[in-house]
Amino acid sequence: MLWVDKYRPKNLDKVLVHEEIAENLKKLVTEQDCPHLLFYGPPGSGKKTLIMALLREMFGPSAEKVRVENKGWKVDAGTRTIEIELTTLSSTHHVELNPSDAGFQDRYIVQEIIKEMARNRPIDTKGKRGFKVLVLNEVDKLSKEAQHSLRRTMEKYSSSCRLILCCNSSSKVTEAVRSRCLNVRVNAPNNDEIVKVLEFIGKKENLQLPPGFSARVAVKSNRSLRRAILLFEACRVQQYPFTNTQAIPPMDWEEYVTEIASDIMKEQSPKRLFQVRGKFYELLVNCIPPEIVLKRLLSELLKKLDAELKHEVCHWAAYYEHRMRLGQKAIFHLEAFVAKFMSIYKGFLIATFG
Amino acid sequence: MEFPDLDELQWLEMNQQEEEEEVEEDYPVELQVEERKYENEDQHFESEEAIPSTQPHSHSQIPSNEKKRPRSPPDTDYDDECVRVRVRVNVRPEIEIHHQNYDNGNYLSRYASEIDGDCVPITAPSGSGSGSGSGSGERVYAKLDNVVKKFNMPTISSSGLISKSVCVLLQNAEQDALLKALQASSEDQNTVLPQETPVMTEKLWVNKYAPRSFTELLGDEQTNREVLSWLKQWDAAVFGNGIRNTEDEVLSALRRHSSLPLHQKHSSVSFLGKSRGHTSSGKYTGTSSMFDQENNGPKGIDGLQNKMQNATLDQKVLLLCGPPGLGKTTLAHVAAKHCGYHVVEINASDDRSSSTIEAKILDAVQMNSVMAHSKPKCLVIDEIDGALGDGKGAVEVILKMIAAEKKSCVGSEASIKEEQYGKKSSNKGRKAVSLSRPMICICNDLYAPSLRSLRHVAKVHVFSQPTLNRVVNRLKYICSREGMKTSSIALTALAEYTECDIRSCLNTLQFLHKKKESLNLVALSSQVIGRKDMTRSIFDVWKEVFQKRKTKQSRKCDVSPRETYDTHGSLYSLVSYRGDNELIFDGIHENFLQQHYHDPLLLKTVHCLNALGVSDLLHQYVMRSHNMSLCAYYPSIIITIHQLLARVETPTIEWPKSIKRYRSLLLEKLERLRSWQTKIAPYISRHLSVNSFVEDTISPFLHILFPADVRPVAVQLLSDKEKNGLAQLVGTMVSYSLTYKNTKSDSSANNLAHNGLMDALSLSLDPPIPGFVNFKDYKPAYYELASAVKQLLVYEVEKQKIVQESTAKFIHPTDCSERDTTAARDKERRPESTETHKAAFDYYNKDLTKNKSQKDVCKPHIHRSASSLGSSGSSADVKKLKLIGNVKKPSIGSFNFFDRFKKMGHKGCDGVDSSEEKLAGAEKDGRHLLFKFNEGFTNAVKRPVRIREFLL
Repeated sequence: MLWVDKYRPKNLDKVLVHEEIAENLKKLVTEQDCPHLLFYGPPGSGKKTLIMALLREMFGPSAEKVRVENKGWKVDAGTRTIEIELTTLSSTHHVELNPSDAGFQDRYIVQEIIKEMARNRPIDTKGKRGFKVLVLNEVDKLSKEAQHSLRRTMEKYSSSCRLILCCNSSSKVTEAVRSRCLNVRVNAPNNDEIVKVLEFIGKKENLQLPPGFSARVAVKSNRSLRRAILLFEACRVQQYPFTNTQAIPPMDWEEYVTEIASDIMKEQSPKRLFQVRGKFYELLVNCIPPEIVLKRLLSELLKKLDAELKHEVCHWAAYYEHRMRLGQKAIFHLEAFVAKFMSIYKGFLIATFG
Repeated sequence: MEFPDLDELQWLEMNQQEEEEEVEEDYPVELQVEERKYENEDQHFESEEAIPSTQPHSHSQIPSNEKKRPRSPPDTDYDDECVRVRVRVNVRPEIEIHHQNYDNGNYLSRYASEIDGDCVPITAPSGSGSGSGSGSGERVYAKLDNVVKKFNMPTISSSGLISKSVCVLLQNAEQDALLKALQASSEDQNTVLPQETPVMTEKLWVNKYAPRSFTELLGDEQTNREVLSWLKQWDAAVFGNGIRNTEDEVLSALRRHSSLPLHQKHSSVSFLGKSRGHTSSGKYTGTSSMFDQENNGPKGIDGLQNKMQNATLDQKVLLLCGPPGLGKTTLAHVAAKHCGYHVVEINASDDRSSSTIEAKILDAVQMNSVMAHSKPKCLVIDEIDGALGDGKGAVEVILKMIAAEKKSCVGSEASIKEEQYGKKSSNKGRKAVSLSRPMICICNDLYAPSLRSLRHVAKVHVFSQPTLNRVVNRLKYICSREGMKTSSIALTALAEYTECDIRSCLNTLQFLHKKKESLNLVALSSQVIGRKDMTRSIFDVWKEVFQKRKTKQSRKCDVSPRETYDTHGSLYSLVSYRGDNELIFDGIHENFLQQHYHDPLLLKTVHCLNALGVSDLLHQYVMRSHNMSLCAYYPSIIITIHQLLARVETPTIEWPKSIKRYRSLLLEKLERLRSWQTKIAPYISRHLSVNSFVEDTISPFLHILFPADVRPVAVQLLSDKEKNGLAQLVGTMVSYSLTYKNTKSDSSANNLAHNGLMDALSLSLDPPIPGFVNFKDYKPAYYELASAVKQLLVYEVEKQKIVQESTAKFIHPTDCSERDTTAARDKERRPESTETHKAAFDYYNKDLTKNKSQKDVCKPHIHRSASSLGSSGSSADVKKLKLIGNVKKPSIGSFNFFDRFKKMGHKGCDGVDSSEEKLAGAEKDGRHLLFKFNEGFTNAVKRPVRIREFLL
């Protein structure tokens, strides 16, 4: 088992990073009045961990006994019936699913499953908890229709069912849904917190940590706890005992983006742009989201850039990222950014060196 | 109620009889007609003069029909069942008229508007059919009358609702129709314009002035000649002896492009050639039935010549392509006629399913009719790209025939010797499907998907536009012949406007002539003259985008606004007719960086990419909002790009593959990740997301999976620390459901670099997650494990999996917490089962098996089920097991390498409690039947086993 999984806090007491949030969540549970929740924050910050810990807090260890199901629904949509299949994780108390996997039919999924849950509402002998929890992942990828259908069902069935929504960016969740939830912002942990976690793990694993080593890993991790722990373990596997000069393994795709950036800096021509396009395709094919590529590329380019150009380049990066999100063919916009950058940079070079 | 029923029955019976009679009666007529049709078919293509000659024939035919008809006058009420029968057998145009002509009202008319109510169009069969029509395919509209079924008493007399009896009416109608038909046929001959049908009689100018001989052809000389020379290449094969070296007679005959007498000459020639060159063969003793063979004859005999012909004529099919109206079909016909072929045309309107077309092609290519005028046939398949589903059938058949040809070509090389001795018959039978006649295919879009395969085997000729001068000259000539006044300027403009599509030029002229208008430039520019919708191939569209139109010399000095307007307009219409916007943009995106436009500061590139971005946004918006009206703005984006990038040189354009490849690959990889994720236990997989997996997990993950310090040695040789490391690695792999699998390693080039001894099979991770960091031109940083280590890992992982499975199995049935904890302990490899061992006897069995399963890696399924069976049973069973088990002790003999390995492995890893071992040792060692089939290895334990051992 990886350390990431091994040292993941199982309940809210053991949470190391977002202690304050954990504290609040605990209060919610003890007060027995849990509203709908919306967790949002960058990847690797611990949203899922918090949610799982919260569920355990609510329902005890039985919440961890989940089974994977491939559920199918038949939905009557006007004239035709739609059949949808989706993988769900469910325990006796909660159902967890990723509705955006259903594509444009996601709204049926959301409605159906909530209704279904409302129908067979668990009856507790003690009358303690009469509700189930529905965990929806990647809500920001839900279609607008699904989000709209969510907002009514949320109210209607709130007595029998609580929603926990999880997403990266709350800006893509509609205002209506957001206002019906208690929003929990899960920040990316800062370096100190990461260091704290890494040192905790080191202690548990009986490792000798040279001073400053965990800080280096934390810096490399780009404020993602998951990445930090993985890197830490990778270092441990590659070389132990640790040395202060030990190389921390880089992310391969980031290296590749660095290559692209240096390509761009070296030559600015349509031909070079064509080569860059090939490399972009390589990255995109391997499931790296184009927004991430653009962001990384920008930061790589900014490293080598003159100060006076930085502002402009950033502006254009933002411009093209916006268009990328509006559009569909990311490659067009990525390329457009590179072309724009090349144009600006070349103009700058000619102006300064004649 | 019964009486009417009876009546009805009676009536029905009669009706049926009547029906049968009808059919019987009609049968011979139909046959006759069929025969005639058959006869006429060959003549039909020959020349139009042939038609009048057949016409007297048909006139005499129709009265005979007439006579037959009244023989059994329908004595019942006119019923629509009867009608149906007649319609089914109808070959005569006049039959439809029967049942509608009740009175003289507007039941039959040339114009649909004159009939009130429903009407059906009726077309007289043209030309060769029954011969009664003039060949013009006259069309009339007939009123549909709702014939009310009257199931009343059969009235035999004519005292019905109508004054005359039906048969009389019918006769009248028939006579009417006959008269009309006669009139029509005579019209054609006399060119007397009858007052009622002025339009129908006039021939289209296009047909009237179609080139009849080779020299009249308009198109590019070069192409025409090449087509002709290609056809000539067939001469050796088709006409027997090579023409060049033999008879001057033939040459002269060919030179004179008269088509009619040629076939006779040909036949005589072949006779001549036979008698001269191959008298020794003596095969052709002139029986008339040999005609059939004769055509193949020369080919079979002249083995050498055949070979020569095969060498020169490697492309057996000619593919003509080009925009419509340039005269492709005309060229094919004229050239084939010129070379002395009889043209058989199959076009889009014919049935083109593969079976029928095959029959047709075989007919054309192999058979030779027994008739005297047996010219070899040349097959012209028109519009082969047209119907996709059916057209494909044609293409397939052609390809098949070509393939057969190639095969038999090889065969014939071998059998040439035989042939020289005169044994040709066997070879010929095999050649039955091969292509032995020229075949010309005609298409508009060379890049139509259905033609892809044909393109490779056929000789392709792309038609270019005929020169403007020639077109204008011809137009002028035609106008003068028709007595239409035009100016050459206007004609030039017209030709330019239609892009030298002579067909549309002529049609336009004829139209204007009819309207008594003269051609003037104003009419051209104002859209009086219809412009045809042009769908051009997508390559043309891209080419148009990247290429500037050549401006005329006269206007070279400056580009007038009208000119730019023109190009933009044409581009606009081109794109909007094409309609395949996304593909167009993909193509532009794929290709525009390859165009060598001058752009030092990349401003154009930026602009162009912005335009492409806009197109993407627009597309997305249209798709999302279903607001298709916005599609109208696509062409303007393309015009922008054209404006930016267009150059004079011809661009090289490739099909946009990369974006498609990107999409399919992305989907595939996502799917791979998802399926992997479902295999991982939920407590881990819920924290993995497909989207961020490659982004922030995979690289360190791979480092963890491929530790550098694992030595490829047996497990017991490792130090404690290393063992721990290995155990952790195995644990990780199991929990992420990863393992190594044998794969054919052509992809793992870097694998080979590490250990050169690797043969074709190598172990690689399954699912292949390292593939996610294998970027092009990039060497990922992770360390590749040696194959020995991988093998070690495979076994460890397998073992661990079995352990987990078996523990899980025992946890489930009894759900008490104690089990839970022991299971957890077992999982952590601290075998403290001795305690539980002592606890209770009925648990004893289970724990035992648990321990065992932990120990014995290669325990087969059968055994596990056997042991669980035993555990559920009484202790007596256990004893039995023991007994049997003792016999089987030596089975674990370490005669193979991996077995030894495994044993060491579990000893090392598990740190087995020795006391426990002792306790359970005896029975355990004995009881197990150890075997496992290792896929891909030869170390499967072979040992004779009794069946009852399995049955326990």
